[in-house]
Amino acid sequence: MVAPGLLVLVATTTFPLLYLLWQSLQNINLAMPGMDRYIGVGNYVRMWEDSRFWGALSYTGIYTGVTVVLQLVIGLGMAMLVLRIPRAQWAFRVAAILPLVLAPVVVGLFWRTLMLTPDFGIVDYASRSLGLGSHNWLGDPELARFSVIAIHTWQWTPFVFLYMLAALAALPEDLYEAAKIDRANAFRRFMHITLPLIRPAIVVVVILRMTVALAAFAAIYAATGGGPGTATEIVNLYAYRVSFAELSLGYGAAVAVVLLAITLAVAAVLFRIRRAT
Amino acid sequence: MSRRSGSALRGAILMAVSAALLLVWILPVLLSVLTSFKDEKEVLAYPPTVVFEATLKNYVAVLAGPSSIVPNLTSSLIIALATTILSIVIAVPAAYAIARLRLPGRQPLGFYVLATQLVPPIGLIIPYFLILNGIGWMDSYKGLVLIYITFSLPFAIWLMVSYFEDIPREMEEAALLDRASRWQAFWYVVLPQARGAIAVTVIFVFLNAWNEFLFAVILGGATVKPVTVAMYNYINTEQTQWAQLCAAALIAMLPVIVLGIVAQKHIVKGLTAGAVKGSGRR
Repeated sequence: MVAPGLLVLVATTTFPLLYLLWQSLQNINLAMPGMDRYIGVGNYVRMWEDSRFWGALSYTGIYTGVTVVLQLVIGLGMAMLVLRIPRAQWAFRVAAILPLVLAPVVVGLFWRTLMLTPDFGIVDYASRSLGLGSHNWLGDPELARFSVIAIHTWQWTPFVFLYMLAALAALPEDLYEAAKIDRANAFRRFMHITLPLIRPAIVVVVILRMTVALAAFAAIYAATGGGPGTATEIVNLYAYRVSFAELSLGYGAAVAVVLLAITLAVAAVLFRIRRAT
Repeated sequence: MSRRSGSALRGAILMAVSAALLLVWILPVLLSVLTSFKDEKEVLAYPPTVVFEATLKNYVAVLAGPSSIVPNLTSSLIIALATTILSIVIAVPAAYAIARLRLPGRQPLGFYVLATQLVPPIGLIIPYFLILNGIGWMDSYKGLVLIYITFSLPFAIWLMVSYFEDIPREMEEAALLDRASRWQAFWYVVLPQARGAIAVTVIFVFLNAWNEFLFAVILGGATVKPVTVAMYNYINTEQTQWAQLCAAALIAMLPVIVLGIVAQKHIVKGLTAGAVKGSGRR
């Protein structure tokens, strides 16, 4: 019963990944067909000395870390808030669906136009109305790095919210009653009761959000295309641009291999932590 | 007295904060709905207008105009349906086997399926680009469906494994005692109980396939151009046709918004795809 599924998986993913590994040892440039040749670890040596790669790697770390922390803090905060207004819960549950089901490319385009365009976007309008002035949200390198983080956080926080809402709703009521009788304040109740109880849920959320952030592509592609310059280039976008804009497929494959290794390593570490909890 | 007014104030702040947060979630979609009914000139009015003369011409243009998205919607539908059917047919028996049978190497098998789900798409697009080029499958439905299987199949397997683990074993064990074969027990006893789970899996596999962009933009082309890629019809270097883009995007996203609301209760499980239960236990 499992054999057909396994065969298809091996054929469609494992075999292409082995081919990717092989490609990463080649010099393949689509602009120069017929010049393909085996160069061993040449692409990896090039990557080691490539400051643009290191830039992309460090921004990937920032992008992943910041978006995951923001999603967790805002999502958990909102879940605790909404838990206190049971009558309005349905509105949040329905509204949370919206960002989650939108195609990331559509999200990127909506933000690029309706939200962040200088002068016409609603965020810029709000910023001007508040006296903070108009900004080139996606055109200024520093600002663009924040903007694409905000976009990812906007789209995926609802997931953390829904997940945490379910986790919090399942907590035993009587523990809190006892704590109230003991006059423990809200902060202490959160630190000593809520947090330890929802720790497994937090670990699961972090695993899922990290793997999604590491695979992010379409929203950044639509919003900035990795730019301005290389400002919002996460490793994913770097590999894409090297492969399909500069047509250097061999080098792109090597970058993709490194990203693959990082993703699997991060997942393995997190799963180990999860087993320990 | 002061305590009561204090809690009323806290309640008011609570409501205000939550209303603001709610607005942030729906704002881009709200704006796109407004914009889709605007004249292109109205779109760039400053300050942004909320009251304006609504027009349907953007919807007419994106459905019946020269850059109509109807062919793209058809492409998306073909790809998403084919991907969903293939994935489900292969995934359901595989998931059942992983959840129930005492297979040798069940644990590494589970991890293998999970790991394939974590593969970054960019790692697959590069080999697929060369492979599909080599066998002449670029810009074809079969090529895109093939690469869509890479993310939908492991996803469907994991989601179904978590559902099968929730179905009690008693009935199929009774069937097995009555000398039914594994396949018979699966077909006549387990599948009817798993109908709801399969429906949910179908919805999420379809949704993910419908929303896919990276594979489609590189491996598609003039013949096969899913609707996510067609959004770029309304954007070129000179100008962006905001109103038409919004109308097209809303039409394109309507199916997934409806599916999302239909599957509302299952959406967390759908997005978690089994990572919560399965992998940790084995």
